[in-house]
Amino acid sequence: MFDFILHVAIIAALNGLLALSLNLQLGYAGLANFGQIALFGAGAYGAALAFSWGFGPFAGLLLGLALVSLLALVFARLGRSLGADYWGIATLSIAEILRTVATNETWLTGGAQGIGGLPQLFGFDLPGTLALAAAALLATYLVLRGVTQSKFGLAVRLLREEPQLAASLGYDLAGLRRRVMLISGVPAGLCGFLYAHYVTFVGPDQLFASETFFIWAMVVIGGLANHSGAVLGAVALQILSASIPFAKDALGLTSEYVAAARLTLTGGGLLLFLLLRPQGLLPERIGSVRA
Amino acid sequence: MRSSLVLGLGLLLATHVAAKAELVVGAVIPLSGASATQGEDQRRGMEIALEEINAAGGVLGKPVKLIVEDSGGRVPSALDAAKKLVTVDSVSAVIGEYSSGITIPIGQYLVQSGKIHLNIGSSSNRIRDLGATSFSVLGLEAVSSKFAAKDVVAQGWKKIVIVGPNNAYGQGMASGVKEELEKLGATVMSTLLYTEGQTTYRRELQQAAQMKPDAFVYSAYGKDAALMNREAFELGINKTPWYAIYLSMCTADSQRETVVGQYGMDLNFVGPNGKAYEEAYRKKYGMSFKTSFSGYGYDALKLLAAAAGKAGSAEPAKLREALIELGKGYEGATGTITFDAGRQRSEQPYLTLKMGQNGYEPR
Amino acid sequence: MSQLVFDLVLRTGDVALVAVALSAAYSLVRFPNIATVYYATIGPFLTYVLARVGLAFWLAAALATVAVGVLAVVLNATVFDRLLRSGSAIAMIGSLAVGMLVTAVLLVTAGPDSMRFAFALSPPQDLLGARVTALQLWSMGLSSAALLGFALILFFTDIGRCMRATAANADLARATGIDAHGVIRVITFASGVLAALGGICLSLKGELNILMGPDLILPVFAAAILGGLGNPLGAILGAAVIALTEVIAASTNFGPLLGQAFLFLPVNYIGATSFAILVLALLFRPYGLFVNEVRRV
Repeated sequence: MFDFILHVAIIAALNGLLALSLNLQLGYAGLANFGQIALFGAGAYGAALAFSWGFGPFAGLLLGLALVSLLALVFARLGRSLGADYWGIATLSIAEILRTVATNETWLTGGAQGIGGLPQLFGFDLPGTLALAAAALLATYLVLRGVTQSKFGLAVRLLREEPQLAASLGYDLAGLRRRVMLISGVPAGLCGFLYAHYVTFVGPDQLFASETFFIWAMVVIGGLANHSGAVLGAVALQILSASIPFAKDALGLTSEYVAAARLTLTGGGLLLFLLLRPQGLLPERIGSVRA
Repeated sequence: MRSSLVLGLGLLLATHVAAKAELVVGAVIPLSGASATQGEDQRRGMEIALEEINAAGGVLGKPVKLIVEDSGGRVPSALDAAKKLVTVDSVSAVIGEYSSGITIPIGQYLVQSGKIHLNIGSSSNRIRDLGATSFSVLGLEAVSSKFAAKDVVAQGWKKIVIVGPNNAYGQGMASGVKEELEKLGATVMSTLLYTEGQTTYRRELQQAAQMKPDAFVYSAYGKDAALMNREAFELGINKTPWYAIYLSMCTADSQRETVVGQYGMDLNFVGPNGKAYEEAYRKKYGMSFKTSFSGYGYDALKLLAAAAGKAGSAEPAKLREALIELGKGYEGATGTITFDAGRQRSEQPYLTLKMGQNGYEPR
Repeated sequence: MSQLVFDLVLRTGDVALVAVALSAAYSLVRFPNIATVYYATIGPFLTYVLARVGLAFWLAAALATVAVGVLAVVLNATVFDRLLRSGSAIAMIGSLAVGMLVTAVLLVTAGPDSMRFAFALSPPQDLLGARVTALQLWSMGLSSAALLGFALILFFTDIGRCMRATAANADLARATGIDAHGVIRVITFASGVLAALGGICLSLKGELNILMGPDLILPVFAAAILGGLGNPLGAILGAAVIALTEVIAASTNFGPLLGQAFLFLPVNYIGATSFAILVLALLFRPYGLFVNEVRRV
């Protein structure tokens, strides 16, 4: 049981990284990224490719961060000319194209069978892995809090609320978007890297568009534009999702109901929050900028 | 005095064994998501096996307990489920998953935690490397490809187009069959891996037809298979012979007239054991096999129960020994199960079939 | 050649109705409503159930489309209208959440297996050199009629003029006395009906399955966005552009150019071509291929 709790905690911490990353884009900058899972994928495939070429985890981390930065720049470049809805769909399309490439280029990515056998960073020591994931989460939290409390953070919120005003005040909107994407790419890529080494396997099935939806649910339930909220949302959803099997055992549900329960929990939970508490568990604090 | 001591010890031992002896088996299969059809069929096989085992009095004097978890077709959910089964339900063995991308991480976890892992749905050759307590109840790619290639070439077809889904199963099948066909001197003109879940496959089919092969070798399932068979029929492409790898799986959802005349191979479900299983399935679910995967679920659970009975224990280490011993020739519903040194099923008997007006006909 | 043209029309018809539904709804309710593709799943399922209890197919289909239209109006009034106050991205993710709930309900009531309407399969006939089946013709006829009817309503009736006026400038329309809420209800109803019909036409030619909706999301969005969201008839052109690219990409033999017998674009990249076109088109025509209006952020 203790191992199970550790595992749930590790996944929750890793999801927290993804949620923090999306929260900076969506919550603070108003960038509706529907291809978030691709940023994760860049980190995960960076780790996997480096491994398959015989390099160590450190090289994998660097490769993952390089790939994720490249992708973040592509997303930001698209954002220069597109309205929000269109940009969301464009990011979704790019994520799907990348998943198609990962599925088809067997010589590079192992195709649909993926790349397996990556080493765990701490052997199979769960507490060590958890400590690493938690440290990454804490560091990301502190850095992003610093970022959003700075002058830059203020500009980013202005980009969300009044882009025309921001432009008229002389802010470089394209530059702001680019920096937001680059900064938020790092935790997502880091998450991909840690995840790849934790489950020891990377494959295209981890990159379905529906995964992006789970990250969205975390951020929206936790609270847009609130770092603690994003982390709380990630933790809450992981705990709920991990407890579905127990609910099934306790209630004696059949398989169709279990599958439906999973859908109802995420879909219904999200919808309830959107309708009844759109600010999320922890709302954005107005005027929380020091600079 | 002495005899009573022995008796007492014996009783103590007996109650101790009885308390620990219950065989609890977990399963992690995709009951929702893109592979739900196959996952549901895997569950059906296990369910029939469970009923048979427990109707016959169970194992070790107790009914076998089976806990089925939904993987949702996602690695994180599958890992959550596997960890729950191991650390909370204390299962001795876990059966699953369906797609190689999920089987590999959960298999690695199970081996590392010292539990038995039975693969019943993934044919990636990488399953072989999972480790000491992992077994495959279905033959990996190499086994089925070899059989199908030989059968295809025996029909006199020389120029082949291979069609399969663009997933771990399809990619593995296509590359395996291509290799074996080329060894036997046939030419593979093209390999078409279709994206699942489309509203039409006419583009794929027409591209394939332009090459004018002697035969199409294909493997597909679910609504994709039904749609493709229908569109091939409507486009007249079914005039060229179609050879199905797992004919029952490829044609289960299709309208009969669209698939009459197809050649194919399938698991030996009309053997002495398989026949009974097929009847049990038909009786319980009112249809013939939906996919070819239920049989492996059935065999896996039966095999585990037999191993527990043989070992007289549900301890993973003892189960492993018993599985290796049984794996020298176990008569399952999918034919004789023989494990090689790497605990993978090394051979598997197949049927050669043709689709007639009234169903499958042996060739 | 005629086979190619026929395939092109067939493929366009696959997504056109649902894409038009999405785009039409967007013209007044400004967010891309993902639930639209789930309306396209509910429609055929309802038809199937109604036909099973003994209704004639056309009657079952008519009842099902009206029911889906009403559902769309109800959902819009109770859910999406509220979500839209928090922004279009929020409303969009909310519509996906609604879709998940739809899938959950269908999973429990209908199960994960494919079904098909109880029509006898007709052998293909030769029509100007193309192989065509009766069901395909029915499906095409039904979609064309629905599209034509919608276009007629949009351009030649008062309610259509009100819709276009409200879409172009809601404030101005209100000022001239147009009942904006009524217009929104009408177009939402129409979008539900069109989406349900699109799903029915699709499953006439193939299967119906609870994954139809999720599988339609990307092609339908690609078509609607290429045509310009909010420009319903543009969505038909968007669907045609995608169909054309896919048909050409799939069936052009590049082999002779390079001295080989056969060389095709691998079919596993065909799906990705439409996304690539979408991204490229958005780079150069940020608001779709068929939109002239200029909008700035």
